[in-house]
Amino acid sequence: MLPFYVLERYEGNEALFNLVLMSIVSTYAGEPLHVHAEGLRGTGKTTIMRSARGILPPIERIKGCIYNCDPYDPHCPQHRYLSQEEIEAIGTEMIPMPFLEISHSAKVGTVAGSIDLARLTDPNHPEAHMLPGLIPQAHRGILFIDEINRLADTSPEITDILLDVMGNKPGHLQIEEAGLPAVEIIVNVSVWAASNPDEDPGPLEEIRRQLSDRFDMVCYMGRPHSVDILSNMLAENSHQKKTRLYKQRKVVQVDESKNEAYRQQIVRWAEQYDKTELPDFLRNFIARLYIKHNLESIRAIEAMQQGAVLRSLIKNRDKVQIGDVTETIPLVLKHRVDGDTLVRIINDLDTRGSKEGILSFKNRKDKKKEEEEPEYFQHDARSLKDLSRGELINTEKNLTPTDY
Amino acid sequence: MAWMEKSKVDKAASVGNYLGLYLGQGQGVRLGESTVVSCHAHGRMPEKRVKGQIKIFTNRDAGKCFLDFVDEGQVVHIDVFHRPGEIEPIELAKAIFWALNQYFIVKDPQLQYAEDERFKITADYATRIFVTTGMGKGTVYNLMQEKVEAFGQTDEGYDHVHILAQLQKEEYYLVYVIAEVVEEFILNNELKLARVRNITHGNQKMEEESYAGYMRLPWKKLKGQNARQLPDKENVNQLIIKLAEKFGGVEEIEEFMENYSTNILKRKGIEQQKKKWGDIENDLEQLEELGILRDTMFGKVLTKQGQALKDFVLTNKCELETEIRRNIRKMPSGGKGRYKKLGKSESKMSSVELTNRNRTINNPDKNWSGNLAVPETIIQAKKNSFLRGDDHLVIKKDDLHYYDKKTYVPVDICFLIDASGSMAGDKRQAACFLAEHLLLSGKEKVAVVMFQERTSQVVVPFTRKQSVLKKGLATINPAGLTPLASGIMTAVDLIKNTRVKNPLLVLITDGLPNTPLWTMDAKADALEAASKIPEANISFICIGIEAYRQYLEKVAEKANGVLYVVDDLNKDNLINIVRTEKKQLQNARQ
Ligand SMILES: [Zn+2]
Repeated sequence: MLPFYVLERYEGNEALFNLVLMSIVSTYAGEPLHVHAEGLRGTGKTTIMRSARGILPPIERIKGCIYNCDPYDPHCPQHRYLSQEEIEAIGTEMIPMPFLEISHSAKVGTVAGSIDLARLTDPNHPEAHMLPGLIPQAHRGILFIDEINRLADTSPEITDILLDVMGNKPGHLQIEEAGLPAVEIIVNVSVWAASNPDEDPGPLEEIRRQLSDRFDMVCYMGRPHSVDILSNMLAENSHQKKTRLYKQRKVVQVDESKNEAYRQQIVRWAEQYDKTELPDFLRNFIARLYIKHNLESIRAIEAMQQGAVLRSLIKNRDKVQIGDVTETIPLVLKHRVDGDTLVRIINDLDTRGSKEGILSFKNRKDKKKEEEEPEYFQHDARSLKDLSRGELINTEKNLTPTDY
Repeated sequence: MAWMEKSKVDKAASVGNYLGLYLGQGQGVRLGESTVVSCHAHGRMPEKRVKGQIKIFTNRDAGKCFLDFVDEGQVVHIDVFHRPGEIEPIELAKAIFWALNQYFIVKDPQLQYAEDERFKITADYATRIFVTTGMGKGTVYNLMQEKVEAFGQTDEGYDHVHILAQLQKEEYYLVYVIAEVVEEFILNNELKLARVRNITHGNQKMEEESYAGYMRLPWKKLKGQNARQLPDKENVNQLIIKLAEKFGGVEEIEEFMENYSTNILKRKGIEQQKKKWGDIENDLEQLEELGILRDTMFGKVLTKQGQALKDFVLTNKCELETEIRRNIRKMPSGGKGRYKKLGKSESKMSSVELTNRNRTINNPDKNWSGNLAVPETIIQAKKNSFLRGDDHLVIKKDDLHYYDKKTYVPVDICFLIDASGSMAGDKRQAACFLAEHLLLSGKEKVAVVMFQERTSQVVVPFTRKQSVLKKGLATINPAGLTPLASGIMTAVDLIKNTRVKNPLLVLITDGLPNTPLWTMDAKADALEAASKIPEANISFICIGIEAYRQYLEKVAEKANGVLYVVDDLNKDNLINIVRTEKKQLQNARQ
């Protein structure tokens, strides 16, 4: 697999590179950002997502905790009631931020958790214990699901689990195993998904609308159109280049220093994220957008706020700008509203200048209305109370002057 | 006071009587000077420059167009006009509620002491009265509990209080009570009542979709030097989706644009285009407004931007086709369709069973014949052995795990499309869209048979391939007569001779048969042909229009099927009907 920094960037996939970075930063800071990449085959959506594994920063956990307990905020059944001293006694360790993958043929036990076979069959000390599945093990990291539309189609049970995990930040997970007490646990994972809406069984929103809505942002991938980019992509992927690199053996080192640079950058951004507030005027703007266009999903505008802040960070700006919000709008709304509404919202923004400047909704139509309305009626009508019985009902005939 | 109350009861009763008369005749009235009451939608008439006039759209039933009712005449529409200003919907709802409550005492003094009873009556009305003001909307009942729905862009209400009341004829007197309290409320809010000078009756020209107003295409230079680059991709995509809904697909859009190229030899006349695509004037107008087309001495031609759009379509064909397919898969929005179902479908369906390896079932209660899931069984046994404290592994009956089964009822659909002259244009497009929608959103095969002039033919044999379907659909060019009997026989033969599962025949027609097959009587022949449908174990639905309901009901009856009567053969109606019917068939198995 090609490392993240080598991958070719072009207009159609740039948004996904940004989203991947934004989601890692947010996850590292403790707030998941669920991302869904949709596109045809050959748009490189899974390649980009999988290669991001190489730039994930390390996280600290209680030594050996399979639930990735944060030493300062332990949550697993084993550690959550321990004192700080007890935790110190166990010790901590650094591990790479988890990146786990659910395939579309996964079973509930593998995903949520099931009985730990190794311990059950331990010849010396057999024990009945729960083994957390992929989701709890991905706590504080990324859970990647390729072909999520197929998973949603074939496995409603796993879909229900995902709905719970993605329903809140942090999410919830219940692990059940007959004969053992159920374990209820919080999980903070960012779900990354990829799908091809044009292949069976069709787009996720038609299969399970709720699950589609759980994604904070959806990125519609385009294919490269430029000859240069395509030939670069071919060169990077050629057998000859791979063999040459393999022989030189130097590549690993170069690779790591560049990945390391990314990791450090991500940690810095995450520190910044804790401190960056969305300016009031932008928050206000998002709120008005919600009301004016009658958006149904609060999740959508929350994602807009989260996305705008993260976007300003990865663009290395010290302040969130209006552009950070407007660029986020299609990513947040395209899977939630119909095309006409989206275009109306996008075109409704009247932003002048790229800096935070004059910011207003276009109000052409309303202005026109106001201009002509006051004179459409005369406002001198008498009320029903003041009318006699004979004056109450008027038909078209008796209202129309005969000499007219 | 008593006198005032008495007068109010008299006024209300008199208004109730008049409304019963006029609304019953499909007319609307002006109640007092500011209020318009009818069972239809209302609008103003800026085009005539006659101010203060309200038009009652007799072709748009209020219940149908505002509340998605199926039957007409259920809902009374009351508009109280005022000077534009803010009216608080919750407070207004409370005022209406208490006015009704109070009125019931006056009308029936017995109720004064039966507070619960009175409250119940009022609350019942409160659920049937829907209020919109410029600040929000909801039923009186919900608004009383502070549940306000947001006022949307398309809602009515900023210069009038818009009320929809579901009332029986005997209850029309309440319209007066409601209007009176609303007027009072408006006046108490320091707003003036507007005077409706006149009312007129007429049809509303169905507002053709106008999209040019809100789209911005990238090839136009934006005003203002600093104008930020807008995400214009969405705009172009949406325009293409619109055009695809009209014309069918990317290829048809290209074909359409070809007619406006500068190469005169490639151009087809407007009449020829209309035959295939229906009324295209609206789209031409929109495209002109968007700067895609312009008028010249040689008629309309593509502008530079139009050329850019054409190039864009060519280079992004693949992505655009995906977007279009996605749009075809979409369920129509807007709630229930506008149709009536007559008859009942009863069919025996056979299902297909698949093993679901994603899920296992422990200890099934019924006799289980499924596949044993060996790993899960052993794990379960090991666990239970351990929990019981056995000293070695014992597998008991309770430990057995089986793979789950999924049952699935496939319904292969054959469309029987009336391709007589009257189906040209939008109806043809809607029928084709329906076939594509079902192919793309389901897992089953689709076939299309069309009938026109004197015969019928299979234009698409049962297939799962979109390209085959599209190619066949493109050959449908509505013209000529309606040989229904022949159509039915061709479809029945096609179904009999193909291996299909739970076949459903869907007849879409806007007319009556007028070409016979065996005798001299076209209608009798079609009925005879319809009787062959149940003999071949084919489920049947017919989608037709109200005017021919009586005859089509007989066809459905002969075919042991169901008739759906629609107000319009549009694609939302068609999709809603076929999807509902398919779901019912799938649930009806065993
Ligand atoms: Zn732990």
